[in-house]
Amino acid sequence: MSRVVGIDLGTTNSLVAYVKDAVPVVIRDRGGDALLPSIVSAGQDGTIYVGREAQRRLLTDAAHTVYSVKRFMGKGLDDVKDEATLLPFRVSGESGGVVRIGLGEREFTPPEISAFILRELKRRAEAFFAEQGEVDNEVDRAVITVPAYFNDAQRTATRDAGRIAGLDVMRIINEPTAASLAYGLDKRHAGLIAVYDFGGGTFDISILRVEDGVFQVLATGGDTHLGGDDIDLLLMHRVLAQVGWQQSAERVQEIRKAVIQAKWDLSEAETTTLNGAPFSRADFESLIRPIVDRTLEPCRQALADAALDASQIDEVVLVGGSTRIPLVRRLVGELFGRTPHSELNPDEVVALGAAVQADILVSGSREMLLLDVTPLSLGIETLGGVVSKIIVRNSTIPATGSEMFTTGADSQTAVDIHVLQGERELVSDNRSLARFKLRGIPPMPAGLPRVQVQFQIDANGILSVTAHELRTDIEQTIEVKPSYGLTDEEVERMLLESFEHAEADFAARLLIEARNEAESVMAATEKSLRSPDFPAIAHELPPGQQQRIESALVDLKGVMASADRELIHEKTHVLNEATRHLAELMMNRSVQAALSGRNVNDL
Amino acid sequence: MSSSPSSAPTIQVCHDCGGGAPVDAHFCPQCTKILSIGRHGDYFSFMGLPRRLALDPAELEQRFRTLSRQFHPDYFYNATPAERRASLERSSYLNDAYRTLKQPIARVEYLLQLEGFAPAESGNKVPPALLEEVFALNEELDEIRDLRASGAPADEWKGRLENARGPIERKRDAHEAGLQELSARWDALLEARAGIVERRPVLDALRERVLERNYINNLLAGIERELTQ
Repeated sequence: MSRVVGIDLGTTNSLVAYVKDAVPVVIRDRGGDALLPSIVSAGQDGTIYVGREAQRRLLTDAAHTVYSVKRFMGKGLDDVKDEATLLPFRVSGESGGVVRIGLGEREFTPPEISAFILRELKRRAEAFFAEQGEVDNEVDRAVITVPAYFNDAQRTATRDAGRIAGLDVMRIINEPTAASLAYGLDKRHAGLIAVYDFGGGTFDISILRVEDGVFQVLATGGDTHLGGDDIDLLLMHRVLAQVGWQQSAERVQEIRKAVIQAKWDLSEAETTTLNGAPFSRADFESLIRPIVDRTLEPCRQALADAALDASQIDEVVLVGGSTRIPLVRRLVGELFGRTPHSELNPDEVVALGAAVQADILVSGSREMLLLDVTPLSLGIETLGGVVSKIIVRNSTIPATGSEMFTTGADSQTAVDIHVLQGERELVSDNRSLARFKLRGIPPMPAGLPRVQVQFQIDANGILSVTAHELRTDIEQTIEVKPSYGLTDEEVERMLLESFEHAEADFAARLLIEARNEAESVMAATEKSLRSPDFPAIAHELPPGQQQRIESALVDLKGVMASADRELIHEKTHVLNEATRHLAELMMNRSVQAALSGRNVNDL
Repeated sequence: MSSSPSSAPTIQVCHDCGGGAPVDAHFCPQCTKILSIGRHGDYFSFMGLPRRLALDPAELEQRFRTLSRQFHPDYFYNATPAERRASLERSSYLNDAYRTLKQPIARVEYLLQLEGFAPAESGNKVPPALLEEVFALNEELDEIRDLRASGAPADEWKGRLENARGPIERKRDAHEAGLQELSARWDALLEARAGIVERRPVLDALRERVLERNYINNLLAGIERELTQ
């Protein structure tokens, strides 16, 4: 039988996981990487690169490389105009329509870009299952996660991305809830849990009650436009203010890479350097404090919505790469009055939970059940541009709501309905989801027809609408035109187009695999050479071996940019052979250290 | 004396095997398939609860979890389209029932609607019991608006607004107590299987209280809006 997987489609990185013998496991690539950078790049010839290779191209061909596409999912051009000026890639589209992203000669919608990432994960999983000797290694079904605070358009865009990638999206689930599912496996606890999920581009808070294996979300809140990206931007501004704002796109990406490194450094060290000057954690913290503070208000709101006091929360779970920042941990700890949990890798926990949910769906296991809520109220436009709420936020999904409509003129046979999502009173302050025309109302005097419109939010948090006229018992046809989405026909066409390009992508991916392998051998070699143990081991190597290793390393580096896959393979092989003895010595040493119970550095 | 409304359906039909089932059954007694939700009782009977207004929250939660485990769409992923639709409908109805019954006021409003005492659209009519407070509040609000228009410092008029809230909030607290007392009377009548003659005055009074309560909340929301201006 074909396999099912759980996918965390992240702003910065994406992962795929599956359940093996009742335990969720992240699937790694050949080089051992679990994280696939959510970056897509187009070469001169139109070849599409995804992941590490695309990340490298950010430094050489930034204009044809797209990152953080998740921020554009389900958005219109008007939503992202301001932000787009800071990005190296071309963002366009019609006003009031879906965003389009230029990549070389072609233009893509955000779901299509995301589909490249999903297809790469699908391939990674299929290669992994094939290596495991699975008879049927096809991966055609997946659970995909989204931020809890994603609206209908963003969820639908994510589902479309899955379809374009050739996946049956079994379920869209919320990232914090997925994380709690992964945590729930280890400890069969009951109680109130707060999941604080601060990722690359989005922030979510979810408050859950766990009892009898039911994970019930009580309230959720967040900001789909607040994450590590914002911290990076702040640091980039600081550096650009020093070096001058007129820089090439590639130079800006180098700066971006440097500030991200500095950010990472400061999670471990008290001080680092940035743009050649010392940069202390205290400096960093005072700079980013306003961003971290913005996550606290949704936390308080979610607690209030759940009618709970922070002190009633039994456990706080941290999810997302940005929760590695000590300031984040400190402030979250202060807010809830307890030390947050972080036993599971915050990068991997969401994908693990998605895999658990996928397994629940196909296995019929009833051990656990996830009950999530809709993050935003759903309403319709009424007279005077005011929103009438039909399903309130934090309602457990699936949920329904209905509203009665009638006509304003004699023999009127159609009514316009405008569906919105948000908490504000006025239409203009909320998110427009869809407009549709309710047709086929039997001609009657004004005010007489009674049309009941039924709104259904399914377990994915996605809306569908049905209507029927009560006096005549006639079902109405509804054409929902998503305000910022794709039609079924568009998704279908994109799926077909992706097949047409599949051939060209194949040669490219073999090259990428060769480069990835080379990359990981080089990284391992450099790590060994820099190890504090190296001087002690060096004299055990045959004479001249260190020089041979170093020159093989230089050789391989020299061919990395080449498009000749065989050449890269060959040089990788040479380096591998040259380091064989060194690797054995390093291994022996760490085994000895482990046996003697002492730290390697103490020896 | 029988008191159940005569129009309420008591039987539903399984679309899968054609067999009959009690209206509050979730699964067909014959073929065990999940029943579509074409004909059903009300939120109370759906959750297997009497129409009492005093509800043990822990019991409600427990029932909600148990029923969720019976028909959540997660457990029907591999089922036929008809069963999947039935599971979606039943889960949605359960969630709507749980959300309504969980909140004491929503529960009273729902009961009133079930018993045919749904509060009519109140419009802007001031409930008689609130005439005195509303009159005083409106006078005070007029003065405060004048004060603000004349450019008085914000602290001054905001302080007066805060004070104006006091009597209304006290009225609300008195109402909470009144609602609880009426709810207890309703539950006692239900227990005693009392007829409509005895029920009617209690339901009428409950409806009155709910309308007043909504009016009070609107007043308080109005003051809140003035404060944030």
